[in-house]
Amino acid sequence: MKNLKNVLALLIISVCSLAATAQTSEEIVANHIKAIGGKENWEKLKSIKMEGTIKAQGAEIKIASYQVDKKAMRENITVMGMNGYSIVTTTEGWSYMPFGGQTKPEPMTADDLKNAQEDLYLADAFITYVELGKKLEYLGKDDFDGTDCFKFKMTDKNAKETTYYIDASNYYILKQTNKIKANGQEMENAVVYSDYKKLDEGIVYPMSVASGYGQMQVSKLEVNVAIDDATFQLPKDGK
Amino acid sequence: MKKICVLALTIASVAMNAQSNISSAMFGTMEARQLGPGTMSGRITAIDGSVKDEGKTIYIGTAGGGVWKSTNAGASFKSVFDKYCQSIGAVAINQKNPAVVYAGTGESNMRNSVSYGNGLYKSTDGGDNWKKIGLDSSEHISKIIISAENPDIVYVAVPGALWSDSKNRGLYKSTNGGDTWEKILYVDEKTGCADIVIDPTNANVLFASMWQFRRMPYSFDSGGKGSGLYKSTDGGKTWKEIKNGLPSKPFGRIALALAPSDPKQMIAIVESTNTGLYISSDAGETWKSQSATMNVTARPFYFSTIAIDPKDPKRVYRPAFNFSYSSDGGYSFTDASYDATWVHSDMHAIWINPANTNIMYVGTDGGLYVSLDRGVNWQFNQGLPVGQFYHVAYDMKDPYNVYGGLQDNGSWMAPSSAPGGIGNGNWDRVGGGDGFWTIPDADGKTVYSEYQGGNMFRTNLTNMKSEFIQPQKTSQEQTDKLRLNWNTPLITGANNPKNLYVGCQFMYKSTDQGRNWKRISPDLTTNDKNKQKQEDSGGLSEDNTSAENHCTIFTIAESPLDENMIWCGTDDGNLQYTIDAGEDWTNVSTNLAKAGIAAQAWVSSIQPSKFDKNTVYVTLENHMYGDFQTYLAKSTDMGKTWKRINSKEFTGFAHKIKEDLVNKDLLFLGTEMGLFQTLDGGENWFRMKNNIPEYAMVRDIQIHPVTHDLIIASHGRGIFILDDIRAMRNMTKDILDKDVYLFPTPDLVLNNGKFGWGGPEVSGGWSAGNPPSTPSIDYYLKQRLSSGKITIEIYDDKNKLLQTIPGTVRKGINRVYWNLRGTPPRVAAGSLKMDGAGFTSPMVLPGKYTVKLIVKDQEFKGELNCVHDAQNKEMSLDDRKLVYQKAMQLQELYNDVNNTIDSISLYQSGLKTDTVAFSKNKNAKAFYEDLQKVKSEIVASKKKSMFADEERIREKVSALYGTFCGMEAKPNSMQMDAIEVLQKDFTVQKDALKKVIQKNLPKNPQLKLPKGF
Repeated sequence: MKNLKNVLALLIISVCSLAATAQTSEEIVANHIKAIGGKENWEKLKSIKMEGTIKAQGAEIKIASYQVDKKAMRENITVMGMNGYSIVTTTEGWSYMPFGGQTKPEPMTADDLKNAQEDLYLADAFITYVELGKKLEYLGKDDFDGTDCFKFKMTDKNAKETTYYIDASNYYILKQTNKIKANGQEMENAVVYSDYKKLDEGIVYPMSVASGYGQMQVSKLEVNVAIDDATFQLPKDGK
Repeated sequence: MKKICVLALTIASVAMNAQSNISSAMFGTMEARQLGPGTMSGRITAIDGSVKDEGKTIYIGTAGGGVWKSTNAGASFKSVFDKYCQSIGAVAINQKNPAVVYAGTGESNMRNSVSYGNGLYKSTDGGDNWKKIGLDSSEHISKIIISAENPDIVYVAVPGALWSDSKNRGLYKSTNGGDTWEKILYVDEKTGCADIVIDPTNANVLFASMWQFRRMPYSFDSGGKGSGLYKSTDGGKTWKEIKNGLPSKPFGRIALALAPSDPKQMIAIVESTNTGLYISSDAGETWKSQSATMNVTARPFYFSTIAIDPKDPKRVYRPAFNFSYSSDGGYSFTDASYDATWVHSDMHAIWINPANTNIMYVGTDGGLYVSLDRGVNWQFNQGLPVGQFYHVAYDMKDPYNVYGGLQDNGSWMAPSSAPGGIGNGNWDRVGGGDGFWTIPDADGKTVYSEYQGGNMFRTNLTNMKSEFIQPQKTSQEQTDKLRLNWNTPLITGANNPKNLYVGCQFMYKSTDQGRNWKRISPDLTTNDKNKQKQEDSGGLSEDNTSAENHCTIFTIAESPLDENMIWCGTDDGNLQYTIDAGEDWTNVSTNLAKAGIAAQAWVSSIQPSKFDKNTVYVTLENHMYGDFQTYLAKSTDMGKTWKRINSKEFTGFAHKIKEDLVNKDLLFLGTEMGLFQTLDGGENWFRMKNNIPEYAMVRDIQIHPVTHDLIIASHGRGIFILDDIRAMRNMTKDILDKDVYLFPTPDLVLNNGKFGWGGPEVSGGWSAGNPPSTPSIDYYLKQRLSSGKITIEIYDDKNKLLQTIPGTVRKGINRVYWNLRGTPPRVAAGSLKMDGAGFTSPMVLPGKYTVKLIVKDQEFKGELNCVHDAQNKEMSLDDRKLVYQKAMQLQELYNDVNNTIDSISLYQSGLKTDTVAFSKNKNAKAFYEDLQKVKSEIVASKKKSMFADEERIREKVSALYGTFCGMEAKPNSMQMDAIEVLQKDFTVQKDALKKVIQKNLPKNPQLKLPKGF
């Protein structure tokens, strides 16, 4: 009986220690940043040049994106020999999507631009949120796609709400959902990340990004290469 | 020490469970289609809107479908409470900060079929996330009021338990936004708080109505000495009872309203032996009786809402049996107009937009309505799929139809799939009243349905003519009357579908579609006379609508293996069977009680096994005696001994047990709070998610024998169909232990799916889509793949790669769909329009194909068997081969066209490499122009808007190629000939190009072309 008591005591101690390891939200965030390569490495990130494809019914959509930290980004989309793009800088935002019949670039609304400009920050959202004045809230554990996750919500100055699901086993972000109030509407979209890869620069980056537009597989990723400023200017012929 | 043991045991059981790899995550990718519909919707119990954004944000609480939110004044809604209890009694928005919302679970319209709640919830982010903040044992919450001045002050009216005594009732107050609660008004264990109003100009002044009420399984009692009206002027610290001018006690339920623009003006509907409307002009100190219409005083326990316009103290609204309004402070009332539409009777909630008081929303037993003219005319909202089904049935048509009856919304049928998907317009009504069992006859043109109290009909679906078929008392019956349950069992045989059964206290059987009946049993109930006094039911207001009928048969099941073996269960605890079609009956209820199940528990479902005649499962429920346990039991010896099956996963009292048709260890259990599944015959259970609310009220479960679909009837979220559950059926422990497993893929029938487009949904509202048109390729991952990717490759029998499909990486079953085609052709640049050919490829021919699943560097191979669609009479196998050959011929032509466009573009860009030199070089310019001329004949290249068509050779080839790729019939001679025409046209242009090059190339020696060109 005494033995049993000891065993139980041990069991209880081990359970208590389990409980003691329950992490605070600060610890989870710290573990996340560590898992994706650490703050220092992310802060060295100045530009990203990326190529990828989205496959739909066997057809391919090619994506190329150019991002300069805190300054500008451009995404080129090539479908069936047609080229479209979107450009966002600190001052303006344009999109040209001829696939749906646009014949010239159209400016983003002020609301859309404000929301898009937030993505100009290249570093992980959990590294930049303080600088960007976002409110971070830990919502406890939740399940995404059957995987146990830590759930966080960030709210920015434009009332845009982003919810992050961080994999409890490896601290990678599995999913983010964005709730945007813009132009008198409330919209929601979700992005799912996978195929995380450690780059030579030490940061861990998702090579697969799935959204409502399909699943983009990154085929080439270059970090901190020079990107010509002209990339972010509207072409002279207006296309 | 005892405590330590208990703790240790709990830990041990948690640890054991953690080892099991079985959970709903395994099947998370299998998402049910929520059929809804929004056609008839269901009971709406609470409405609140945000004043700050002018009423665009609205929350709707429902009787069994959780909370729904709109951010566009009701144009569309989304469900925001899928993870919690679905029965909602109250919702309230903090008007100072509308992101803060409270939802009280447990509806308080205390009818026989009302569900119960598990506490109060709060969201601080507009309904995205919720936290339970107490009142866990309240069971029913009728109202939440947030102080306008100080939103940390919250009052919650808790009528409390309906089926038992409870101390957890009364009026609760929080002064810290719900962190802690204090009970500020309490009478006794039988009396709860039904209503509360607060003076918006002075939050210390509040009025509360206390209500004594109780249901038994066989009676209802509204009213008693506990009921009364109370006033406090110090925020609930002290109370005084108000009687001056009110009728003599006892009271029943009291509904209250206070004019926000003139808080001294109040109205109350007081249930008493002489129920009436009372008006006060001095803040409730004295009251005056007012004459009132039937609608104002009708059924006070169920219609407990009265409201005064936020700006006009004379404008009063009474949503009740009908909708009434008054323009003179309640002295006289008019009923709403039905010019715009009939408004569903039985109303429980109203919200008037304070920013524009012409606009208001009302919640009824049949959905949400909006008025734009102060409640005179109403429009139905079709976007809330919250119907409360009791049962569901299917037929054997293709596509099959589903049938079911709903609370206060009759009986309906709809196809399980249709062109364009299942929308509101696909539902047809086949019966009225409260609908319950709705069963198709095997003849394919007859349906049986009923309304409350066993009023049943046989309906001819070709002309909708109905005959009343209820069995009648004959001169031989030794009884006062036939006792028919509110929800009377009316079913066809699982072994012989020509047998039609009905149960009252006796069992009846018909073999001629209910034209003639044979009584096949004695009284199978306890026949307890004390439980048969329904005519005295109701309390102060008599209320006997057959809802309390008792000592009746509630469930009947014919063995799937033997039509002479029939089981039946009663609402008063009896479980009986016959093995000789009703000659003799054996009551096994005492055996069942030995398994630890309350003797009087209601037998809610019986599942005689399809795999063994002596095996039977039953669910029972005892909630009408205040016991919400989940009772499920199994016998393997014809009911002699029983084993109770339990799980710590279970929540809610049990409605339905369903055994799979193929895998005897696969079982589904539906309860008042969830759908559960076991893969090992009941040892381990898990809650099913699968796009089904986690606490859905699951009343019925069926499995379609042909499509393998799980069909679920919910009491508040309509019908769910989980298409094709074979992946669940085939899941074994062996597979679960593997890291990766590629399931065998069922035969792939070569067609474009069952339906064409079908046009846009004409009626708007809810839409459920269709099942996938082709079976999926399924694979299992033990864990999510975070690093590395998954690719699926399809090869033909010559090992040629046809298509590459990106795979998903989730834990459990992953599903990818192959479109039965190869890779679409490349589209050369040069046009300003999208070209459809770039998205399609000919459908493959029948034969063996190979699927390769590549997980990081591991490969798994499987066989795919593509078969000709023999059901398509428009297209023989030879036709298919011809179509394929022609489509491939067109694809080659299309490739040729695009290569030619590319060549021209290459020449052109070569000429323009040096733009300065180009502008000065006449020969280069001429060459360029000649090339452009040919190009503009081959491909549409002018700058045009999307509304101006331009067709050149590529566009024509593309269109014809698309036609052949999508063809599901024999091609006609014109279509065949068109290929030749296009080929000739293209040859002409190719010759022209040759000449252009021969003419110009020698004159442009500067032109450098890429190597190998």
